[in-house]
Amino acid sequence: MTQVNRLTGGQVDRSQTLNFTFNGKAMQGHPGDTLASALLANGQRLVGRSFKYHRPRGILTSGSEEPNALVQLRSGAHQEPNTRATVTELFDGLTATSQNHRGSLEHDLMAVTDLMAPFLSAGFYYKTFMWPKAFWEKLYEPAIRKSAGLGRLSMQDDPDSYDKGFLHCDLLVIGAGPAGLSAALAAGRSGARVILADEDFAPGGRLNAETLEVDGMSGADWAAAAIAELSAMDNVRLMTRTTVYGAYDHGIYGALERRTDHLATSDGKPRQVLWRIYSKRAVLAAGSTERPIAFGNNDRPGIMLAGAVRTYVNRYGVTPGQQVAVFTNNDDGWRTAADLAANGVAVTNIIDTRDAPAVCDVPGARHIRNAAVMDTVGRKGLKSVTLTSGQVIPADCLAVSGGWNPNVHLTCHQRGRPTWREDIHAFVPGGDLPPGMAVAGAANGSLTLAAALAEGRNVANAQIKDLGFTASRKAAPKAEDEPSDGMAIWHIPESKNRAWVDQQNDVTVKDIKQSYREGFRSVEHLKRYTTLGMATDQGKTANIPALAIMAECTGKSLQDTGTTIFRPPYTPIPMGALAGRARGKDFRPFRLTPSHDWASKNGATFVEVGNWLRAQWFARPGEQGWRDSVDREVEMTRGSVGICDVTTLGKIDIQGKDAADFLNFVYANAFGKLPVGKVRYGLMLREDGICYDDGTTARMSENHFVMTTTTANAVLVFRRMEFVRQCLCPDMDVHLISTTDGWAQFAVAGPNARNLLRKVVDEAHDISNEGFPFMACGEVTVCGGTPARLFRISFSGELAYEVAVPARYGNSMIEALMKAGEEFDAVPYGTEALGVMRIEKGHAAGNELNGQTTALNLGLGGMVSSKKDCIGKTLAARPEMNRDDAIRLVGFRPVDRSVKLIAGSHFINKGDDATMANDQGWMTSVAYSPSLGHSIGLGFIKEGHNRKGEIVRAVSPIHDTEMEVEIVSAHFIDPEGERLRA
Amino acid sequence: MLEFNLVSAPPLAGYDQRFDGVNLTAPTDLAIVSLALPLGGEAAAEKSVKAAYGAALPGIGKSALSKDGSARLVRLSPDAAFVIFTHTTPDAEPFVAKKIKGAAYTTDQTDVWTGLEIAGPRARTALERICPIDLHPASFATGDAARTTMEHLGTLIIRTGDDAFLLLSGSSSAKSFLHAIETSIHNTA
Repeated sequence: MTQVNRLTGGQVDRSQTLNFTFNGKAMQGHPGDTLASALLANGQRLVGRSFKYHRPRGILTSGSEEPNALVQLRSGAHQEPNTRATVTELFDGLTATSQNHRGSLEHDLMAVTDLMAPFLSAGFYYKTFMWPKAFWEKLYEPAIRKSAGLGRLSMQDDPDSYDKGFLHCDLLVIGAGPAGLSAALAAGRSGARVILADEDFAPGGRLNAETLEVDGMSGADWAAAAIAELSAMDNVRLMTRTTVYGAYDHGIYGALERRTDHLATSDGKPRQVLWRIYSKRAVLAAGSTERPIAFGNNDRPGIMLAGAVRTYVNRYGVTPGQQVAVFTNNDDGWRTAADLAANGVAVTNIIDTRDAPAVCDVPGARHIRNAAVMDTVGRKGLKSVTLTSGQVIPADCLAVSGGWNPNVHLTCHQRGRPTWREDIHAFVPGGDLPPGMAVAGAANGSLTLAAALAEGRNVANAQIKDLGFTASRKAAPKAEDEPSDGMAIWHIPESKNRAWVDQQNDVTVKDIKQSYREGFRSVEHLKRYTTLGMATDQGKTANIPALAIMAECTGKSLQDTGTTIFRPPYTPIPMGALAGRARGKDFRPFRLTPSHDWASKNGATFVEVGNWLRAQWFARPGEQGWRDSVDREVEMTRGSVGICDVTTLGKIDIQGKDAADFLNFVYANAFGKLPVGKVRYGLMLREDGICYDDGTTARMSENHFVMTTTTANAVLVFRRMEFVRQCLCPDMDVHLISTTDGWAQFAVAGPNARNLLRKVVDEAHDISNEGFPFMACGEVTVCGGTPARLFRISFSGELAYEVAVPARYGNSMIEALMKAGEEFDAVPYGTEALGVMRIEKGHAAGNELNGQTTALNLGLGGMVSSKKDCIGKTLAARPEMNRDDAIRLVGFRPVDRSVKLIAGSHFINKGDDATMANDQGWMTSVAYSPSLGHSIGLGFIKEGHNRKGEIVRAVSPIHDTEMEVEIVSAHFIDPEGERLRA
Repeated sequence: MLEFNLVSAPPLAGYDQRFDGVNLTAPTDLAIVSLALPLGGEAAAEKSVKAAYGAALPGIGKSALSKDGSARLVRLSPDAAFVIFTHTTPDAEPFVAKKIKGAAYTTDQTDVWTGLEIAGPRARTALERICPIDLHPASFATGDAARTTMEHLGTLIIRTGDDAFLLLSGSSSAKSFLHAIETSIHNTA
């Protein structure tokens, strides 16, 4: 029998035994235990070391507010640090280890820091590591990082999977304690769609931890009956192990469901699911958290919150000690004493700060009135407590109650400020709740059982009536209100030794007073200066006592002192859950071109372009690197014919009687008189006159145009045109729909492009130079009747076409094109060769259309039609955008042809210093031109169009390079355009 | 010329899987043609559609089956609708244009989309992991249609039966879409 502290009773299943280890030591527990209850059952009081001073620490609470009992769970890649033993469900085979010590837990070498405490007070880091500045990155930060952080990551990939999801309800009930169950029952009975979420694995909240009765049965039994009734309702979804962690806009709540954390293995299923819950109304029934009282050495293992001690006794059948003293400032602490005594545990003393008669009879316990604990003894576990009177009381467990704080956190997630209620010495939700939220029960300051049950029902009924449901007439469950008087005591001033307020961050009463003395008096400053209220528990047990001590210092009221802003998440959310499925190759969806399969089999290397995977080049055996492949693709395309999948370019189908007028307004250049069967290059401006996007638009019939956009802007251009259509031109008959994915489109470029296409395009269609000249377009059929579209346009500068077939034929089409091209040595080419050829031709692309350049800069100033209005025209006419010395797009070649140009280099006139003041422009795109045999570049330079032949310096301070370049025409290849008209 | 006969290969062609409580199928030869109602010609277009399909164009966010059940009309916005039907050859657009006598602007959307039909008692549970839309039978009635996003992918969801939904998403991302739906089914199994 290892479970020396196991009692009878409680809600654990003693018929089954679960084996687990803590620091390698074999222990046993039962289903229904948490790791914390099982550790206590096994007599393990010391469970960890504190963050800063490595003080021995035990279990303080029985819930998610736990500051001390942080452990590492599992092993190997599954190892998870900083988990709270108090909410870890026990399972067979669980391995847990303590953290934040060097050497064993019992003999932590880092405990020496506790001796240095006088030097490590609030603000220590800020004051100490200021100087010398250079030491920070190399010395201080690594050293601090090494000693900080509590647990350790496995440093391996998380082997678990996570998921996300979406839920909808009329009423979300947050918390399944008495108020939440009462609310869910009322709403469920009315027929409303209800989600009831609770962070515990056993719903019931404090009903499971108390001996109070509801409807004539034990609270736990009543909770079980309520759960059974709710489970039978189709309109109610009960979610246990689910923490509602944040209240967001429009009634949306974030919730984390822990689906397999209580199992030895996830069995390939998501470990946790992050839910987004869309609610019409919500009832916050998050209960309350007990607060400790700060006194000297109040952090020893064995000193626990009184309500938690009661939970361990009543719910888990475990006593945290064999000789217990109770220290309380309110009636509630007395129930701990009574419940312990009822279970046969020796309660020696009840130390009450009030000068008041006994609340109830506790056999064997001595009632000490008007008294307080000011110090304790017992380094690794409590041995005795010392009262302010000097009396020493032997005890291995001290149950402390400083009163209860409503869990108002979610009421503050949209900047709500809580209100101080003097009668219960606690903050309650203020008036400005998140829209749709109401609060019930202890979270609302209704701290007693009957009040919580009634309020849960009434608040839920009001919420669902608001939604048009008829509330059930059934009365609230019957119970009595337990005694709940108390007084406000936050710390014991007589204590000479350190009195801990925030045990997770090792912040003492003295630290708070020092923060005040040094001028950090606002609660937000107090938090940042002392680290109070940070880390996994977010100060759930520490915040209010700390604020009260600060209020004492400043002489302000608690209301005026206020709280720090509570933000989501209420409890920690693993990064894995936030990532969900978005990891590795599933980070984002992929878009594949219609010829992707063919490209994969033919040596393609793919590059991500937005979500698209595009073939970057097609390597052939023997090629030494990408440049070999790209040079070959360019040379063979310019020499004969090349084929490139250009499906990714955006395609927008534009129809309507006013389609031509619409395009005339959207594009800077004229489209109104574009003949049917012709394509035109178009330039779009933003409202401010800067270039937005370019592409081609083909007129397929009088009222039907097909627009092509750049790949990057496909969605943006569509969205913008939809805005123009609906908001700026609502009287036009024009209709837009995207067909980007619908057509597999291939560029066929090179002197043999027509010869190749002639073999594929059905004979009925004339594609001769006369019948289908440069910039022609039309509907054709290919390969014996498959509908297709043919455009004679060229990005490469060669004789070129783009042919489009319904996407389902795309993979087959590339095969047909390649087969037809065999006799011409046709090559597929990728985005790199595409880029090289467009630079050789001097075509602008994303590097040049970078959101800062104008039509004038691009040398396209003449395209902004003076004869019509268009978006951006007015602001494009601003003088600053039409300066004579504006930058112009031109070409550059290195004076020393063997030198490689560097994109991003800035141009400096010869003889000038390379400073910002002398900046003449910058190089936007560079490539090695296989056609010319040297590096070439495009770039913007002041008055470039008038400076051809001039030599300037291209300077790149980043690469620490400088070279002389000559300004030339941007059209390196075929400047007269003879090839594309051939 | 016939040596270059083209083969139709939609990205999810032939996909048909049975999972516990969920069937996932890529409908064969699913054709989609968009209708855009001309400004000022809405009434004429609606009349023509009704004459062609024996069913009126439904309201926005709703769909209706043609009288013979062979086509589904989905209303997406005041001036836009889809006709979804089964059609083998790549001429769905002229087919519909002729049927409605050119009373609305038509665009072939067949190859723009990939279709997946998810059906069975666990379909909603699987979709909970991916679909932001409320699919409760009382909120999303049979025939209802909504545009949404699933795993970053734009999706049109149509409830086609008690526990059956037709999902349409971009054909270029069909494999990612299928993976997302399969993962949802696996994760909730």
